[in-house]
Amino acid sequence: MAGAYTGPLEQVNDCCWRIPKSYKPGMRVDGLIYADDELIESIRSDQAPEQVANVAFLPGIQVASLAMPDIHWGYGFCIGGVCATDPDEGGVISPGGVGYDINCGVRLMRTELGFADVQPRLRPLVEELFRQIPCGVGGEGRYRYTLKELRQLMAEGPSWLIERGCAVASDIDHTEAHGRLDGAEPECVSVRALERGRAQCGTLGSGNHFLEVQVVDEVFDEDDAAVMGLRAGQVCVMIHSGSRGLGYQVCDDALRELRGAPAKYGIALPDRQLVCAPVESPEGRQYLGAMRAAANYAWCNRQLLMWQAREVFQTIFGSTWQELRMSLVYDVAHNIAKFEEHQVDRQKKRVWVHRKGATRAFPPGHAEVPDMYRRIGQPVIIPGDMGRASWVLAGQDGSMQQTFGTACHGAGRMMSRTAAVKHAQGRRIDEELAARGVIARARSWKGLAEEQPDAYKDVNKVVEVVHKAGLAKKVARMRPIGVIKG
Amino acid sequence: MFEVFEHTADLGLRVIAPDLETLFVDAARGLFSTIVANLEDVRPVQQIDIHVPGHEREYVLFDWLNELLYTFETSRLVLCQFQVRLTDQGLEGTARGEPLDPARHVLAHEVKAITYHELKVEQTESGWRAEVIVDI
Repeated sequence: MAGAYTGPLEQVNDCCWRIPKSYKPGMRVDGLIYADDELIESIRSDQAPEQVANVAFLPGIQVASLAMPDIHWGYGFCIGGVCATDPDEGGVISPGGVGYDINCGVRLMRTELGFADVQPRLRPLVEELFRQIPCGVGGEGRYRYTLKELRQLMAEGPSWLIERGCAVASDIDHTEAHGRLDGAEPECVSVRALERGRAQCGTLGSGNHFLEVQVVDEVFDEDDAAVMGLRAGQVCVMIHSGSRGLGYQVCDDALRELRGAPAKYGIALPDRQLVCAPVESPEGRQYLGAMRAAANYAWCNRQLLMWQAREVFQTIFGSTWQELRMSLVYDVAHNIAKFEEHQVDRQKKRVWVHRKGATRAFPPGHAEVPDMYRRIGQPVIIPGDMGRASWVLAGQDGSMQQTFGTACHGAGRMMSRTAAVKHAQGRRIDEELAARGVIARARSWKGLAEEQPDAYKDVNKVVEVVHKAGLAKKVARMRPIGVIKG
Repeated sequence: MFEVFEHTADLGLRVIAPDLETLFVDAARGLFSTIVANLEDVRPVQQIDIHVPGHEREYVLFDWLNELLYTFETSRLVLCQFQVRLTDQGLEGTARGEPLDPARHVLAHEVKAITYHELKVEQTESGWRAEVIVDI
């Protein structure tokens, strides 16, 4: 580790801490970190706050460089960071502010099954999911597209999958941005990226990606939960994945293209990984076209993963997925940049909101929240670790006032991968999980060791801060019962 | 020689070598040892040549590792032996390995990308040292 952060952190209130812009010459705004007294201690233990300060160097940044309570040390941007830039003030777009895994995100699908229906068949269910859903390093999927089809898929998002029999209209209605960012330009996606992504649509990948069978453990808001079709004891499926090799390559291509941009546009940056270009520059426009195409690909990936999960449930439970009422609750992106309208200094502005490990959390009444959720606010899906819990929240007004409509995206890592592997020596993580009532299948022992529950902060504490700060409110908590991982 | 150092969500590779060419070779071995748990069991039966233009050492290291990663992802070749020659124009490298065989190769990590974050190639009293963080 590069050691603990030793710079200033001033307490603003019981949920928020400030890094004043006086900390480093070059910071254009303050840094603000959402955390309580306990979480801030673990946040201080690495260089993540330094990264919050570094992001404040970006030209055109508005209000503050923000971080959610699940913040941890990333590369360039911290994970859990939010940054909005105004193109009219020379605002930049930064591929590092989106991340390699463009539109990494989560979706939650409900079922009509209760825990008692699933428990007797849980092991065969998990085994079949593990057999059918491609995961792990180098995993190739069963969906193959020609380059022309791949470009169509990136232009249109999952609605393109409807006529191919892998999506229905209500899936699209329950996906952020209807699974399609306008302005996607598949021609901006390199041949290399297409090659990497070609056989990977409908595959899970590895690292922290997963597919989980979960049970709704506790409901905190009965009314909102009912609107989402959730009730205690019900079985759900959560899927966490992104744009696979295609997105990684789009980011890589952009970072290479931008190597000379700081000098060309006279932008001083404290970290090479923060490279950026003005939104209205050829490099900026090229990246945006490709990034949106990769985001649409990612929505297709999660759609195809969900479709395969529906098929497995059909096999195991002998009913159609419609009979099992396996409908999508919502799908959210947590690595993305979007052009949104926000209030800045009593003025309405369109800004580029970079969310790097952070989830959109629009409040009740917002025009971009789909009709069925307009009254309660946008569902915010927060995956936790595979032993404890995951959450569904609903976006609140506080998010628009404080964080450009954003909440956290997960628990946040606490332990490095190497430390987690050491911590797992001589242990069987799968057996420990089984003792907690979770059947876990993974392609690699190391993968399971690195992702063990102890490697993460307690998601419940992270969610508590988001709830208390008024960014999103608690609706329901789920606990895992079956996990597949790469 | 190389070692893995800690980084919260990802992995860092630290490479130490008496000369630059060995540094690049050992960095490549480091990269593949994070992808494959049993690199010693990979057979060097197939060869590819890689050319990386440029002379900024850090970018040449980055591009070299990136080319190897791309080869693994798209040709499904697990690479285990490397040779590097540095010239005024850049790097001429060869890599040997074999097609991915899930029955014999124990895969450990999917490396999403090589990152520029804290990327370093520096001369030391006894040779060279590089650090690179890969995104997992």
